[in-house]
Amino acid sequence: MNQRAEKSGVALGILIFLFGISIPLRAQDSNSSLSGVITSAAGAVVPNAKVAVKNLASGQLRETQTDSGGHYIVSNLMPGEYELSVSAEGYSTNTAKVTVAAGTGQTSNVTLAGVLSLQDLGISPEQAQGTAADQARLNKRSHMLMLHQRLGLIAAVPLIATVATSFGAGGRSTSTADRWTHLALGSATGDLYFMSAYFAIRAPRVPGTNSRGQIRVHKALAWIHGPGMILTPILGAIAFDQKSKGEKVHGIARAHGAVAIVTAAAYGASIVSVSFKF
Amino acid sequence: MNKKFLLALLLVTIPRLAAADSQWILEESTLTYHVSHPLKQTEGVSHAAKGKGVCHAGQCDFLIAVPVKSFDSGDSNRDLHMLQVVRGGQFPLITVRTHLPEDASSLATILADLEVQFAGQTMQYKQISLQHVTKGNDTLIMGTIPLTLSDFKIDPPTLLALPVKNDIPVRVEMKWRAM
Repeated sequence: MNQRAEKSGVALGILIFLFGISIPLRAQDSNSSLSGVITSAAGAVVPNAKVAVKNLASGQLRETQTDSGGHYIVSNLMPGEYELSVSAEGYSTNTAKVTVAAGTGQTSNVTLAGVLSLQDLGISPEQAQGTAADQARLNKRSHMLMLHQRLGLIAAVPLIATVATSFGAGGRSTSTADRWTHLALGSATGDLYFMSAYFAIRAPRVPGTNSRGQIRVHKALAWIHGPGMILTPILGAIAFDQKSKGEKVHGIARAHGAVAIVTAAAYGASIVSVSFKF
Repeated sequence: MNKKFLLALLLVTIPRLAAADSQWILEESTLTYHVSHPLKQTEGVSHAAKGKGVCHAGQCDFLIAVPVKSFDSGDSNRDLHMLQVVRGGQFPLITVRTHLPEDASSLATILADLEVQFAGQTMQYKQISLQHVTKGNDTLIMGTIPLTLSDFKIDPPTLLALPVKNDIPVRVEMKWRAM
């Protein structure tokens, strides 16, 4: 009886010992994980893709699905060689071998090809895949055109004031102060105008796009108000000089008012052409 | 000898005939997106979609692709802004995949599960109702895909500080031909 109890005690001791060391060993071994992103050949993430991870040594299979961002993660893996198999509706199954090291988070991103590919539609990989540089060009163009638009609208304020003060700046009964006010407002208009024009001219072009609709009218009018914005201050400076000398405005300087009115009208029409869609 | 030869021929050809592949080609298409803003409504149209369908063992896979920049709203400035907002520089194509049983072509209304890739995101649209009409050799498919900006993580553009509505339904009219 005592001998049996002794044997049972030894066996129990061995069991407790084995159990005691196996828990930490197991916890240490299954601390690895495998994760990644599943994308299509076009670069878009693939949600709800079925991801299967098979341990090639033990045959143990673990399965999961990608989330809405195409991410998957399989945790608590033993280190070793695995077969990673990814399948999704409308795509060919992709299989890859992955080595998972002990205690690490292994990343394995997978690209899925469709049953039908874009090449089947005659679309080359270059046409299918854009670049961050293409997007940066678009962003830059959009940003520069927004600055062009804002500065252009701001320039309209001193432009209107310049036209309003022109009645006091010209003619026989004009004072020096009126001319200086007109000159200062005209200069402010010119500065804002050319800053606005800079952003429109320097905005990077996007290949494969053409001007359509009212923007064509907007661009055509620039061929009138652009030269007008150069010519008007030149003629204005000559007229200013003549008036300052006590002379009557004569020669080409007499065209200052007419050129300014045409320029201001074309500029106004240019703003209207993109403000109201027909 | 002849009987054995015929039997062998039948054994080889019958499975092949049963699983014969057929193809569909997208001949013409009109895709129209609709954007709503409190102050105005805008539509952009593209006729540049390419599409193909492959049928095998009673199941068909379809793929349709359309360049983002092919949509014309009548104003190239607005189109360029749209292209920028939907990240068209980085993701120049919109693709739609669907998987249908081959006998769906006999139905007047097809309920299709569509997988749409747009702006670098993929969304599933379940049970989209598509009208189906056969005219001679051509098959016409019409319907509306209820896309939303938030589905594709697109920030709604604004006009006078007011954002456009989240819904951007795309009306689809396609003419397919079996090859």
